[in-house]
Amino acid sequence: MRPVLRAAGLALVITWCLAPFLWQVITSVRPAAELMSLPPLIPTRLTAEHYAAIFAGHPFLRIIANSALVAACTTLLALAVGAPAAFALALLRVRGRAVILAGVLAISMFPPIATVSPLFLALSALGLHDTLAALVITYTTFSLPLAVWLLTNFFAALPRELYAAARVDGCTAFGAFARVALPLAAPGLLAAGLLTFIFAWNEFLFALTFTATEAARTIPVGIALFPGLHEVPYGEIAAAAVTVTLPVVALACVFQRRIVEGLTAGAVKG
Amino acid sequence: MKLERELDRPLWYLLPGGVLLAAVTLFPLAHVLWASLERRSVLHGPPRFVGLENYLRLAADERFWNALGNTVYFAAVSVALELLLGLAIALMLARAWRGRALFYGVILLPWAVPTAVSARMWEWMYDAEIGVLNYLAGAHVNWLGSPAWALNAAIAMDVWKSTPFVVLLLLAGLQGIPQDVYRAAAVDGASGWSVLARITLPLLAPVIMVALVFRTIDAFRVFDAIYVLTGGGPADSTETLSIYAYKALFQGLEFGYGSALAVSVFACVGLAALLYARLMREALR
Amino acid sequence: MSPPRLARCVSGCARALLLAWVAALLAACNAGPPAPGATVIVFKHGKLFGDPAPLRALLDEFERHHPGTVVREETLPAASDEQHQFYAINLQAKSPAFDVLAVDVIWVAEFAHAGWLRELTPQLPPHERAAFFPGPIEAVTYRGRVYAVPWFVDAGLLYYRRDLLEKHGFAVPRTWEELARTAQAVMAREPGIVGFVWQGKQYEGLVCNALEYVWSNGGEVMSGGRIALDSPRNRQALAFMADLVHRYGVTPASVTTATEEPSRHVFGQGRALFLRNWPYAWRLFQDPRSQVHGKVGVTMLPRFEGGVPAATLGGWQLAVNRSSRHPEAAAELVRYLTSAPAQRQLALAYGFQPARIAPYRDPELLAAQPFLATLERVFAEARPRPVTPYYVRVSQVLQSEFSAIVAGLKTPGAALAAAERKLREILADET
Repeated sequence: MRPVLRAAGLALVITWCLAPFLWQVITSVRPAAELMSLPPLIPTRLTAEHYAAIFAGHPFLRIIANSALVAACTTLLALAVGAPAAFALALLRVRGRAVILAGVLAISMFPPIATVSPLFLALSALGLHDTLAALVITYTTFSLPLAVWLLTNFFAALPRELYAAARVDGCTAFGAFARVALPLAAPGLLAAGLLTFIFAWNEFLFALTFTATEAARTIPVGIALFPGLHEVPYGEIAAAAVTVTLPVVALACVFQRRIVEGLTAGAVKG
Repeated sequence: MKLERELDRPLWYLLPGGVLLAAVTLFPLAHVLWASLERRSVLHGPPRFVGLENYLRLAADERFWNALGNTVYFAAVSVALELLLGLAIALMLARAWRGRALFYGVILLPWAVPTAVSARMWEWMYDAEIGVLNYLAGAHVNWLGSPAWALNAAIAMDVWKSTPFVVLLLLAGLQGIPQDVYRAAAVDGASGWSVLARITLPLLAPVIMVALVFRTIDAFRVFDAIYVLTGGGPADSTETLSIYAYKALFQGLEFGYGSALAVSVFACVGLAALLYARLMREALR
Repeated sequence: MSPPRLARCVSGCARALLLAWVAALLAACNAGPPAPGATVIVFKHGKLFGDPAPLRALLDEFERHHPGTVVREETLPAASDEQHQFYAINLQAKSPAFDVLAVDVIWVAEFAHAGWLRELTPQLPPHERAAFFPGPIEAVTYRGRVYAVPWFVDAGLLYYRRDLLEKHGFAVPRTWEELARTAQAVMAREPGIVGFVWQGKQYEGLVCNALEYVWSNGGEVMSGGRIALDSPRNRQALAFMADLVHRYGVTPASVTTATEEPSRHVFGQGRALFLRNWPYAWRLFQDPRSQVHGKVGVTMLPRFEGGVPAATLGGWQLAVNRSSRHPEAAAELVRYLTSAPAQRQLALAYGFQPARIAPYRDPELLAAQPFLATLERVFAEARPRPVTPYYVRVSQVLQSEFSAIVAGLKTPGAALAAAERKLREILADET
């Protein structure tokens, strides 16, 4: 593709991705009086009242901390459990591999609305009502299918010679996994990790059902508590959206640059 | 050297995942399957076993067929668009030199915004009277309120939101392809399109499959976005299977019939996955 | 990243996580457990009010009058559907996690039939019921017993632009036909003004709107325990509703996406002549920063020729969870919060609309919230939606059919016939 076309294409894509988000940013600094009126497109004056409101009127900092904790734990756990499983399915001889993969996939095929009620029963019986642990366990389980499938593909695509060479050098299978396979599958790990993080960050149904107080409240439920009986504070919702999305995006940029580009730059070998 | 003679058995690698999945999902899934065979309506007394009655009722239910039609249309159009757009964007991004990390982050934005929030924002943007889309276009289209447009408007929002998911997966796949493959092709004098068709796509095929399967699963189960945008209306024209299941379960309190609807979603997705597997095998041959 | 760096990165993450967890635990500890031996009552309600302080003050006073009892509030999202879903899951699982709950007026019969609520007849004996509006009392009574106590009420109102009506010399319409004619005339003379906005999206609000047309034409949904939906009066009423969009053109086609807030915004920006909405909008229009400040009037909804005005009843009631571990204390809290002094205090603090009649005649309260005087008559005549345990399922059918009418996809006759057929299946379905 010619560079000019590519640049134009990228610009178009960036605009398309950014435009609705930009609208949210504009809304978040619009004064309340002008919130729903359309001319003017750009507000006549900017205000930080919505940002102040979300932190003053709600324990939003606590809510963000809860979400961060849940999402981070979920991601680490999902990768820690999923990567070895994917490695085994890809590189070690496992009987019934196709059946296992299909079974793992089947779990994610049920709509969550059907499974939320029995899960609630089970978690309450275990005394995990209104805890972050309940969310971490649930989210990890439901992100495993994607993580396992994705990483299985990545490990399977690795050249077998590298793996064989590591074994010849005296590594145990686990050593080969940790020192050779994992670093080379970094793009897959990043993708799976990011998607899991975002899933745990934004999940609503289980969070609403399994939690009751601010002790375990996460961001989507927190935002759902902004509207009053009839009124919808669009300004606050927009401010909250901007506040909770930018950290995730920053995280993605940092990891992409540090891990993936660092690795793939070094992988250009003969 | 035999790769099979391992000191660490595969079992140890699979055990943690297996235990977690079994412990957390076995009971709920069994419960859903069992409930779909029962008359389990809170307002009608204690549950009782009725065999396949719920499924027979499903087959005769015109609202079910309407929802199925809407869901299949939604899934087919949105997944196709997401895949095509996602591939195009991933290819562009893979070859971008500077600021790739920044582009990566920006492109991730639609997926990173919580659905509840972005659905509300889009509902407001689509508003016929005070929405920004009609304002900018100078038109007065009833995006979410006319049976002809509503489902397509929902698809547009889903494509905006979910394309980053596909981009992420495909980009990871592209980054895994070593550069020498392309260098060899360049030496052989291959043109851009033929490189794409003969080298890139076949190497990407497994990741494309993962993206396809998971997007299809999500599209069949779509609930939040459409529920906020239209609530299933107007006149049930955007009611998908998940919305119907939600209304049956949590509004109608019919846990048996609602579970049967959930199982029907599972069946549809399973069929689609089998279809993809078959197609992929044929294509790769 | 070489393996040692990867390992360091992972251990760094693990350390950070551990610290965060400890911090969160410490923060949680600050909440502190209640004093040993104290009875903790959990009051679960959807987010109702902006400032939680006045309600909390009321609950603190309850705690002072009942030493040894602690009341904890837990909020749910304001959306009615989400609350219903939450209660369905929790109450079906017989969860004792909350004691007092706020239920929507349309759920009481359903929850009572499902055995989820404790009977509260002792808290609301027959001789005390006259102190409340009749509509809510009808809604909380199931098979002769009371399962919830009315807390606050809501009803549909007609808002109008007083300045525009005066400018063009029209009176406030008393019948629907008059409203349509007035709207058409003013729209012709004022470009950019829409005649009449209301809620036509496929959701519960549409049923509230549609029933107001049906009832004001003398029609019914159920009469004497039987379904009377497909009647000439109902067809006439709903034909008018469809005509507002398709024949008179006073309501834009986008009404099929309108809920309370979008319609309120259109009117609040000065772009509509008439609005049907709940009382909450009044305070927002009277705000000095509003574009329609001082230009808005409010009155009862119109009727059809030969009918009576009708408004749909909304509002919330307080009930006690059947699985609660402290039923007596919970019932006490319900009685306290619905008592005259508590209702008066909430009305003063929030402009809350009490379910009791006496506050509407209290001069001090009326001086602080003059709007309440207008509302008394509306609430006295507001009608509850059909009081049946199957109401939510009934509503789904009605929403779908009414939406088809408004969108112009079905004639009122066809829609009502289909609705009646489906309702018969639902209501006959008793085993």
